[in-house]
Amino acid sequence: MKLEYLYPELGNLYGDSGNILYLQACLPEAELIETHVGDEPAFVSHEDVVFVYSGSMTERGQGIALEALRTYEKALRERLEGGMHGLFTGNSLELLGTSITEGDTRLDGLGLVPLTARRNLEKRYNGLFLGNAEDIEIVGFHSRFSHASPGEGLTGFAAVERGIGLEEGCKYEGYRFHNLIGTYLLGPVLVLNPLFTQRIMQSMGISGEPARFQEALAAYEARLRELRDKKRKLD
Amino acid sequence: MSGFSFYIALWSAKAAQVALRLLRRNGSYAPGKIALTICPEFLTRIGRPGTLIGVTGTNGKTTVSNMLCDIFENWGISPVSNRLGSNVDAGSATALVAAATLGGKCRKEIGVLEMDERSAARLFPVLKPDWLIVTNLFRDSMRRNAHPEYIASLMEKHIDPSTRLILNADDPISSSLSPLNARTLFSIDSPPSEQTVRDNRVQDVQICPVCGEPVTYDFRRYHHIGRAHCTVCQWRSPEPDYQLISADADRGTMTIMESDVWHEYPMPSGEVYNQYNALAAVTLLRSMGYSWVKISGAMEDLKVVQSRYQSEEIGRWRLTASMAKGLNAVACSRNFETVADTPGKKAVVLLLDDVFDERDSSENIAWLYDADFEFLNDPDIVQVIAVGVRCLDTRLRLLLAGLERERVIPVPKASDAAAQVDLSACEHVFVLFEVYRHGQAMEVKNAIAERMRNE
Repeated sequence: MKLEYLYPELGNLYGDSGNILYLQACLPEAELIETHVGDEPAFVSHEDVVFVYSGSMTERGQGIALEALRTYEKALRERLEGGMHGLFTGNSLELLGTSITEGDTRLDGLGLVPLTARRNLEKRYNGLFLGNAEDIEIVGFHSRFSHASPGEGLTGFAAVERGIGLEEGCKYEGYRFHNLIGTYLLGPVLVLNPLFTQRIMQSMGISGEPARFQEALAAYEARLRELRDKKRKLD
Repeated sequence: MSGFSFYIALWSAKAAQVALRLLRRNGSYAPGKIALTICPEFLTRIGRPGTLIGVTGTNGKTTVSNMLCDIFENWGISPVSNRLGSNVDAGSATALVAAATLGGKCRKEIGVLEMDERSAARLFPVLKPDWLIVTNLFRDSMRRNAHPEYIASLMEKHIDPSTRLILNADDPISSSLSPLNARTLFSIDSPPSEQTVRDNRVQDVQICPVCGEPVTYDFRRYHHIGRAHCTVCQWRSPEPDYQLISADADRGTMTIMESDVWHEYPMPSGEVYNQYNALAAVTLLRSMGYSWVKISGAMEDLKVVQSRYQSEEIGRWRLTASMAKGLNAVACSRNFETVADTPGKKAVVLLLDDVFDERDSSENIAWLYDADFEFLNDPDIVQVIAVGVRCLDTRLRLLLAGLERERVIPVPKASDAAAQVDLSACEHVFVLFEVYRHGQAMEVKNAIAERMRNE
């Protein structure tokens, strides 16, 4: 079993590599492959890549990652349609969308999902998030220059309970594309959400608990209490 | 009208300063805030000192500013400074008000203003410093600063073409700033004994700033600090004008090479990041034309400010309190590495939670996964006590860094922390704290000291 971390030199901006740290702790038998810009992604030729990950990146990094990945768009689509799992956190979720625009400039995404992103470097949104996915409460953080509009047919990842979703007013955060989740939530999303991590593991056919489950649950429950508390500011 | 509002602003601010002095509140930036509220263009109107030095960057700017002020004061020059106030526009305004005559002219020859890098747009264009030291650019609070590339682009937009830059040649991000501005660069040479690759979780320059291909490091000291080049295009780290070629911790000296001549200077503190700070100060002062003898003489008594670092022997223990900065993964990692490199059995108390989020929100703890908690997974570190409302998150991070459950103790209340330290198992206790937890950290430190004295 192989886990693939796409472009760690780019997609490691806001503690996002914590997801890889946690996956490695949860799946100690799995082999981690780090694919760098210029390398052919392992999912192209290795059927045993079961999980692909990409994290938050700089705006320049998004352009480099998109160019690197564009050659393999068809293979990525086929593998995801075939059931490969994945997680794209922070602004890397935009890579799989239709486009990223900033003023008059436009960057074409890979077009796997109907999502158009708008970037504004003058306005950063910071906030906390509480939502629900598959009856599991999801907690997390946003810190972003961009928002995205979902197109027809996009399946959301988590229903918004507190905080914002893909854009102001959107009822859901992130998206699902088969077994891949794209989310603007950044940082160690899997560590913060041990119940959801367990659900992903189950979906991959892995039984048992995520690593340090009791401690992760204790931290998760403490955060849940805070995010449910309406007196606390979210942004 | 604007002239009138300027004088009203100045006099109101001065009156506020007198009132605050009577109340013994010298650290407030309220006078500057008042001035800017009354006259938003106050900083463009207020008199500047003959020479204005700005000090900015992610880490080290307070230390460098303090060193420069101490050196100038040693020479009998009292600079305009915001060392007691804030490093945003209101802090600079407060400092300039204090130095101004009732007519708004500056009475001082030299100014040393610490400048928040995120506030570049509000500070650089109006203050137009003659000299600007940029200590380094690292990741900092993601909410304020996003990422270092973003901060660099923001600074570059606002640095005046006339400002002469003092830059860290070992930092590929800040050394590339405003390439058309005059600049002087400093670097620390890598001795053969130095471990050349540090395994840090954060390394923000892995692709060439020019062509986007992977960069090759000739050596990497920590994070992206080191000497790098691109094998595809011609980009490489710039050559330094001032290079620290050796440091003697026992004698407390450092040797700096400039134009093939070396000079020895006192070294206020031995950690590499503090060597960078001292080197930045020396580079500026030499570039301004001060002699090495004069600089060296003034550096004899320099010390890193006590609020940032204190260390003392108590009985058979050493007790150290060091500011690590919450939300700032690099500053924490530097401290964690220092702890790991310190010989002997150690206990570590962490007070890193954000003070403001604790009050009425919930902290974004993603930065914990950028910080190298792995340094604390050292067999000589017998205990790590994670203190505060986020202690469960910190505990989990420490466990994922490989520490065993027995070595990690979560303590929600700071008042309970000192009692948890196992003095029988360690020789050295470190208290690492977030900037705004200085008071709380001192209480914890004093309680540990009390226990040490009573053992």
